[in-house]
Amino acid sequence: MKQNNRASMNDAQKFSLVRREAIYTGLALVGLIIFWLIAGFGTASLDVKIFHLPLWAILGSIGVWLVAILISFVLSKILFKDIDLGGDDDGR
Amino acid sequence: MTGSLSALTSLIMLVPLILFMFVMVAISVFVRHKQAGKNFVSSYFVGNRELGGFVLAMTTVATYSSVSSFVGGPGMAFQVGFGWIYMAVVQVTAIFLVLGIFGKRVALLARKLNAVTVVDIIRARFQSDFLAAVAAFVIVLFFCGTMTAQFVGGAKLFAAVTGYSYEAGLILFGLTVVIYTSIGGFRAVALTDTCCAIMMMIGIVLLLKYVLQAGGGYENIMTRLEITNPELFEPFNFGNMPWTIYFTQWLLVGICTIALPQSVVRGISYKNTQGLHQAMLIGTIVVGFMNIGINFTGILAHGVLSGTAADYGGVDNIIPTTIVMAMPIELVGFAIIGPLAASISTISGLLIVASSAIIKDVYLHWAQKNNRVVTSARVKFLSMAATAIIGAIVFMIALTPPNLIWLINMFAFGGLETAFFWTLLLGLFWKRANKLGAMLSMTGGTIIYCAAQATGFKIFNLHQITIGITVSLILFLIGSYFGKSSDDETLKIFFPNHS
Repeated sequence: MKQNNRASMNDAQKFSLVRREAIYTGLALVGLIIFWLIAGFGTASLDVKIFHLPLWAILGSIGVWLVAILISFVLSKILFKDIDLGGDDDGR
Repeated sequence: MTGSLSALTSLIMLVPLILFMFVMVAISVFVRHKQAGKNFVSSYFVGNRELGGFVLAMTTVATYSSVSSFVGGPGMAFQVGFGWIYMAVVQVTAIFLVLGIFGKRVALLARKLNAVTVVDIIRARFQSDFLAAVAAFVIVLFFCGTMTAQFVGGAKLFAAVTGYSYEAGLILFGLTVVIYTSIGGFRAVALTDTCCAIMMMIGIVLLLKYVLQAGGGYENIMTRLEITNPELFEPFNFGNMPWTIYFTQWLLVGICTIALPQSVVRGISYKNTQGLHQAMLIGTIVVGFMNIGINFTGILAHGVLSGTAADYGGVDNIIPTTIVMAMPIELVGFAIIGPLAASISTISGLLIVASSAIIKDVYLHWAQKNNRVVTSARVKFLSMAATAIIGAIVFMIALTPPNLIWLINMFAFGGLETAFFWTLLLGLFWKRANKLGAMLSMTGGTIIYCAAQATGFKIFNLHQITIGITVSLILFLIGSYFGKSSDDETLKIFFPNHS
């Protein structure tokens, strides 16, 4: 049913969907920047080491990467919707 | 080190690299053959919009990851430590940002406008041939700078590792990339980029394995580093890694990269939104793996190299020297495929966009406007010739490399971002964005950025991208406020909700 709805979307609906997805992406960026700040600089004063690596270095590198993967997953699999890119169904 | 190798051993060492280059050319010939009969301009410059998710991810990552990611970057990590990885990891945003923000919008518009290039879209949005010409000029100019840096970086690495001359390296991989891009166009670029990205990842894993082995294992290297180089474990490297570098990097290699024309054009090239979604995820995984993997290897190289970066002739020599010292001779030829793949995949991606700027954005548009008939055979010949000629020019510049080539690379990166960031972002998402704003932003911002670079003028010691991007925003807003709005017909195409 959802697929049919998407296939029958007109141009205006597609563009507003795409705009919303771009905003989600921008918000995800803001979230990642905040995580990056806290994960790295925020924990740099802690004297904790795992596998000889300071906590800030792990959280600020692998941690940021994993969060970026999570963000990409949420964006692409949950928030983003499939649309027909054809452009012939704009109803004009 | 390599001087003691026999001529035969040196030659055998090159076999994997020569084979790899042969495969690249074979792919392009195959692609050309497969694309025969299809619309040439669309297939040559944008691969007929047929890319799937995996190839889209790999080509976006490979074009984005340059030879400096594999040579200069890890060399800096060797010197600076984990702060460098913390800074470089901001690049994990690059793929999901460009595809998430521009991917679908550009794809929808390209299909509506029958656009093949980013400049096509800019021309249609702002209804300005002058702006399109400036955009094409900026692309060709800055891309030539970036490509020269890739040629030089790759050839220097080749010479340092194999013992062959700089020129021999340039001929081996430089000519190959020009040939395969000229023959196969965008589709070949995408497929060869995919091979390159895979080889980059294999190269990183191999190098990491042998660095750990040569250094006596992870435990041994890290225990020693904690005692001898405690500064590597501090985010500011005891003052050598100021906050300004972190801030600048977020702009230069993170946020602003979404507007790089070589990245945005990938939004025109994919087949469907499933592929785009897949590419966002795969691309983010791959770009993070490469970034963290190669930079961490740079730090671990302390287990192989006992001196400072200066002892080995600077940070750019850290990875080449590590490859030579840590890897068995029979694998050295294989190991340098990774960094050279990073070099050629960036060159090919830029070369095809630069060629499209000249042929599609300037020549074909001029011909259409003047009612000149251009046969498809002529378009084919001119497109391939333009690609080959631009490649040849950059190749010739690289034969006598200018000084400070790495600065030229970063200069070009910042210039492209200054020129295109607001023009694309505001142009595609803000109705009030207009021709005057885009013109002022692109021309004024780029000129101010170049002037700041030339004079060395900085604010708070930040890279000049901050000046360029701020000035271009201000100019864009001023122009959009005072200039005439875009016409209704254009707004209906770009903002169908417009009433």
